[in-house]
Parts: sequence; C-alpha cells; structure tokens
Amino acid sequence: MLARIANELYWLGRNLARAEFTARAVEAVFQAELQGTTEGTPGVSFGSGGLLAILGDVGVGEGDSRGRQALDHLALDPQRPGSMLASIERAREGARTVRDVISAEMWEAINTTSLGLRGSGHPGWAAPASTALASQYVKERTALIWGVANRSMLRDEAKSFLDAGGLIEIADMVLRMLRVALPRTVVDGEALDSAPSDGHALILLQAVGGFHAYLRAVTAPPNADPVARFLLFERAYPDSVAACVDSLHEVFMVADAGPRNSKPVLRVSRLAADLDFQRRALPDGAELTGICEQTQQELARIDQDMAERYFAGASSAGERM
Amino acid sequence: MTDYRPQPPFLDELFEADGSPRETAEPLIRQLQQLGQEGLAEAGRRRDAIFMQQGITFETTGTGGYSHERPFPLDLVPRVLSGEEWRAIKRGLAQRIRALNHFVDDVYHGREIVREGLVPWRLVASCSHFARAVHGIRPPGGVYTHVAGCDLVRHSDGTWKVIEDNVRIPSGISYVLENRAAMARLVPDLFASYRVRPVEQYPQLLLRALRSVAPSAESEATVVVWTPGPANPAYFEHAFLARQMGVELVEASDLVVRDDVLYMRTTRGLERAHAVYRRLDDDFVDPLEFRPDSLLGVPGLVRAYRAGSVAIANAFGTGVADDKAIYRFVPDMIRFYLGEEPILENVRTYLLSEPEELEHVLGRLQELVVKPTGESGGRGVMIGPHASEQELERMREVISTHPDRWIAQEVVRLSTVPTVTEEGVLAPRHVDLRPFAVFGERIDIVPGGLTRVALEEGSLIVNSSRGGGSKDTWVLEDGEEGDRGGTGAGWGGGYPISDTQPPALPDLRYGAWTGQQQQQQQSSRDAGARS
Repeated sequence: MLARIANELYWLGRNLARAEFTARAVEAVFQAELQGTTEGTPGVSFGSGGLLAILGDVGVGEGDSRGRQALDHLALDPQRPGSMLASIERAREGARTVRDVISAEMWEAINTTSLGLRGSGHPGWAAPASTALASQYVKERTALIWGVANRSMLRDEAKSFLDAGGLIEIADMVLRMLRVALPRTVVDGEALDSAPSDGHALILLQAVGGFHAYLRAVTAPPNADPVARFLLFERAYPDSVAACVDSLHEVFMVADAGPRNSKPVLRVSRLAADLDFQRRALPDGAELTGICEQTQQELARIDQDMAERYFAGASSAGERM
Repeated sequence: MTDYRPQPPFLDELFEADGSPRETAEPLIRQLQQLGQEGLAEAGRRRDAIFMQQGITFETTGTGGYSHERPFPLDLVPRVLSGEEWRAIKRGLAQRIRALNHFVDDVYHGREIVREGLVPWRLVASCSHFARAVHGIRPPGGVYTHVAGCDLVRHSDGTWKVIEDNVRIPSGISYVLENRAAMARLVPDLFASYRVRPVEQYPQLLLRALRSVAPSAESEATVVVWTPGPANPAYFEHAFLARQMGVELVEASDLVVRDDVLYMRTTRGLERAHAVYRRLDDDFVDPLEFRPDSLLGVPGLVRAYRAGSVAIANAFGTGVADDKAIYRFVPDMIRFYLGEEPILENVRTYLLSEPEELEHVLGRLQELVVKPTGESGGRGVMIGPHASEQELERMREVISTHPDRWIAQEVVRLSTVPTVTEEGVLAPRHVDLRPFAVFGERIDIVPGGLTRVALEEGSLIVNSSRGGGSKDTWVLEDGEEGDRGGTGAGWGGGYPISDTQPPALPDLRYGAWTGQQQQQQQSSRDAGARS
C-alpha cells in the first residue's frame, strides 16, 4: 500500500486512541476532583494538573489552569492541540484523506463523531453540553469506531497500521500517566509505607477503564505498586503496556514484507521480551518509573523506525503532535 | 402538486403544456401526490442529515471567508427518460465521442482535417489546452478520451442538443451514483411503478477500460486514481472512484519516475503503476514539460508516457477537443472522420474571431449567450436576455478588443422539471443533462447521467459552483437492446434481481429451534425454582 496512506492510517489510529484516553482520563479526574480528593497526598498523585502534564498542555492557558476549567479545556477547547476535540478533528481530517481505504461505515462513524462533538452539524444533533457528557460521548463513539473497524475492515496492512497507531498511543499514554502519577517517595527510597492504603491508585485504573479488570486479575488492594505493575506487565489486560507491545508485534508480522530483518519488528520483540523478563525478575516494591521511562524511549525509537521503513521517511511523532 | 403549472414556451419533462402529467410520468406524479408536501419535506430533512453524516458535501465560502460545509443539493423529484429517448442520446454520444477522439489523434499526427480546410490551424494552435509536448504520441488502442461527459439540453421543440463537450476531466459521476442510492433510501415509493436502469456499474466499467489500455506484461495491471489532494473541490469524487474501483488514490508525492517508468512509494518500497486516471489538468502534471511552477506534478511523467510505460486517462492534450471554439466544428468532424450525419445537434455558435460573425453578434448581443473560451464551470458567461444595458455595453467593448477569447451562442430554451422549492412546493426549474461515457475497448455509457438543475426561478445557470442542484435521472427499461446488462460489466452488470421461483430446500427444517427453546425454558424454570 502507499506509504503516505499507511502513515495517515497510523496517525488516525493514534488520534483515535488519544481521544479515547483523554475522554477516560478526563472523566476519571472529573469524578475524583468532584469528590474533593486532592493531589499531593501520599501514594499516587493524579489530577487535572497531572493530566495537563501528560497531554503536553502545560502553560498554554493563562493564569490558573487547574481544576474544572482545565478539564473543560482538555475536553472541548479546539485551540489546544492536546484536547479531545482536537484529537477527534485530526482523526476526521486523517480519515478524509484515507476515505478510499477505510470502509464507508467507519468514515461515517468518525465523521458523525466529529460533527456531534462540534455541535455545528445538523441542528438535530445534540452537542454534549458539559465536559462530563462530552467525555462519555467520545468514549462511546471511539468504542463504536474501533468496533466498526474490526468488523468491516480487511485484516491487511491497512488495518495493521491503523492498529499499530492505536497500540503505540495507548502504551505511550499509560507510560506517561505512570511517570506522572507514581509516588516519587519510592524513588528516593524513603521510609514511606510501601503499601499505603490509598484510594488514589484507583484513579489510574479508572483513567484507563481498567478497574474491573484489575479486581478480577489481582488480589492485592489497588495501591500504587500493584496497580503500576498491572498496567505495565499484565498481558491479559488489553491496555497494559506489555499487551500493547505484544499486539504491536503481531500487527507488524502482518504488515511487514520481511519481518526477519526488519528493524521495527526486531525492536518490538526485544521490548516484549524485556518487559516479560522484568515482570518476573523485579522484586516487589521495586522502583518502576525508570522502567517506564526506558520503555517510553524505546517506543519512540520504534516510531522512528516505522517512519523510515514503512512511511518513506514521513514525519515522526515529534513533528506531528 | 395540483397547482403545478408548466411555463411555456419551455418544455416541461413531466407535464404537458396543459398541466396534465405526461404518460411516462403519471405513476410518479401519483406517488408524489401521495407523499405530499409534508412527506417531501421530511424526506428532504433526512436527506440532509444523511449527506452530512456520509460527508457528501461541498464547501461554500460564506461571509468573512469562513468556509462551511453544506449537504449536496439533491432534488427529490427524479427526471424520467424513456428507453427510446435514451437510445437516441446514447447513439449520438457514442458517435460524437468517437469523432472527438479521432480529432485529438489527428491534431497530434497528420492534421488531415486542417489540410482539408475544415478546421483552421490557427484556432487549434491557439487553444489553451493544445499540448505541443505530446505531438506524435499515440496511446495504446489509439484511445485518448477514456472518460467523456457531454452536456446536453433539451430545446422547447423536444430535440436534444449538445451544449458543451468535456473530454478532459469531466466530474459528477459520483453524484449520479450517490443520488441514486439516496433516492432508493429516502423515497423508495417513487420507484414503485418503474423499472429504472441501474447506474452502479460505472466504476467497474471504468476499471475495465483503464486495465484494457494499461501497458502491462503481467496479468493484472496496477491502476491508480491521481488526485491533486483533499483541498480539491472534487476530492469526494476522487476518493469515491478509488474506493469503488478498489485502487489506490495517489497524490503527486506518492509518485516517482525512474528510467521512464512510473512508480509509487509503498510500504514495501517502489511499486510500478501501469495506468493513471488523473484528475488534474495537463498544466500541472509534469513541471518538466508543462507549467514549471507546478507543485502538484510528477517530474518525468510525460517522458514515461512517451516511452509507453504508462497509460494516462484521459491522455494529455485532449483539451483541444473540448475547447469552446472547436465545439462548432464537431458536426463537421463527425462527417469527416466517420462519414455519418450527426445524430445530436449543436447549438448555433458564432466565432467572434471571424469579422462578419462578430459584426452579426454585436448587432444582436441582447439575444445571445456569450461565453469565454478558456473558462469552465459557468464562469464569465453572459446571458443576453437577462443582462442589463450596462453589462451589454461592457461586453461589447470586451469582445471587440479580444474577439478570439469569446464565442456567442443562440439562447437555448432549457426544458424544465418540477423541483422542490425552498417553500416546499413544486415549481418548474431549468435542467441540463451530463451523461458519462467510458471509452476502452468500446464505448459504454451509463444510463442517464447527472441532471443539473438551476434552483433559482428562471435561472439558466445549472453549475453547482453557481448554486445549482442535481436530480436523479431515470432511464426506463422497455425490454429493448442494451437493457438487460447490455453494458456487460461482468458482475454488477446491471441485472435486476430476477423474480423467478426460488429452488425448494427440502433439507431445511423450519422451526428447528423448538428443542433449544424448550431447553431454555426449562433452565429458566429451574432458575426460578432455585431463587
């Protein structure tokens, strides 16, 4: 397939995944902050400030851009490249250029989502009035879009690059979130209780929609360390970093003409093995932010390798976002 | 509906001059009456919603340069053509396109028609789309005009006339297909008493024609659609055709010429492209041969074309055949190349570069239509009877200074078809017709075509860029030749679903679910007992 189209599909996947992550995270943080829990307590710290840091929007707003207002910006401010609306708009623009490759149903699903969110389309379509409703809407719509993609697209290269974009984005977002939220006290090895009974780790699970999965998979209470391990290493949970990397490997095997000597494929399989090794070898309570950072850098390298091998050297992540 | 009045002298295609429905239109009018004003308005609202959702839109620039998307204006009252009428149009078009194709070949080779003194060379060479770069090149099969769309109008005496030829990159076919799909979805009742010939085979016809001219030694030629990009107003159509044909939609950055062979950049390195259906003008295709400042072009493409390693549809240089000044000579071409009498008439046209014709035109400018030769899309057209004294005066000056850039034509009384107005009632509006022909190994013409309608009362300008709308065009089956999949497009060749008795299936046990249902009932009873 055309290198340009493959690149567009990859970014379509990334933008959709980014919108979905933003929607879930905004919803989780909105709920949490509504109930008065604040940042800065021991354990994990993840609030609207943390979310802004993840989405690379720090300092864009004027004055105090925390709390409700910050969440509003993250959801529906078209001026901010990190907002949910901007991600959906980018996805729609991308989908428009690959309209001949994706199915008509999928294009319609993306187009309607964008029109609905803007609220400027047909007068009969409801515009989600508040941030919470908008997040809910985007969550549902992205689920629909991926569902339609899975049911109506041929499982060929095109789907592979779309999926690859989604997977890299999810893994990247989870890693960013962990790096922001994991307690620094553990890094310094200070005498903080290694298992603080702290409800804050819940928010990380809620922010990726993995609370229920965690309860079923892990017996330990949702504290910082087991939650972080779950999000990093649990291969049975689809949004964990390890599961994303595994799937990424499968996707590359479909897309690549000669996977045996392909740089991105080799790099991904090394990363998968590395994560598996660490899951088994790391003692409880070991420091995890370092691993998050390394994994994230490795993903960035995979992104560069992909641009070189498949996209005829098209722009990589740094230039696009 | 009952108070619909045709406007003589214009011919109305659904109603007689006395206001009674024509025979072919009678069932349609009955259905429309049943649907009523409210029903039509409701269907119209659903149409806009569906078109927005599917992105069948075009962008208009509103106040303050802020562009915004509007659903494509499809009028829900179809236009009906009888099978007989259509066959005459079809034969006439095929004849005309064959002659135009001969003409392009002649212009870039022997120039016999010029030597015979039928077409002045000065006129050919001064065409803005005359391409010196392709002199002497003959594409595979000798086909230049693979895709053609001639604009037809119906005069008040019922005759069809060709008003314009389009053999460069005629657009609108996607709307023909989308209109039909939308009509079947929105107002299925209107189809009830008719057998309408299908149109959806077009992409397959086009693909087959492109494959048939592709210079490929391998079994399957790679065909691509080349678009200038998403910013182009016709981008929807480009993507539509690529998707419907199942081929790649490429932009200039995807294409590269190496050693006179055209390749595209793919995820697996360079791959060869054999046939290009290009949707951009000659001027932009190759900066080495045409406009050097073109950023949309592929350097070396004309060299590859000359080397015969790639087929281009339509061929470079076909623009000489649809120039407005050349139009006048098409009937002569038909007689000269084919030895036949033209089936479709031209509109009487005056070349202003001829001094005596210019004088004649200046004398009765208020009765004529004046068009610039180098423009398309209805730009720059002045309709004499509708023009103010000032406009006429200005036009007089302009055509006297640059007579070679203008032509004048008699006013055609465009026929009307009932159209839903903004108030929701039906009123007569003027229409034209653009049928689409595909020229590969032979000429195929999709039944009907794009009917464009001027949405404003009395307006004769139907171009969508100037506020025109469109209608679904029905060609009725009457069992004569060419009705039954005569287009021969393989699968999807237009066979209507047959109404034959289905085969008996004795091995199927209808109602085989009872056992399972019982089980389910049983288990739910058990569950009920436990709780």
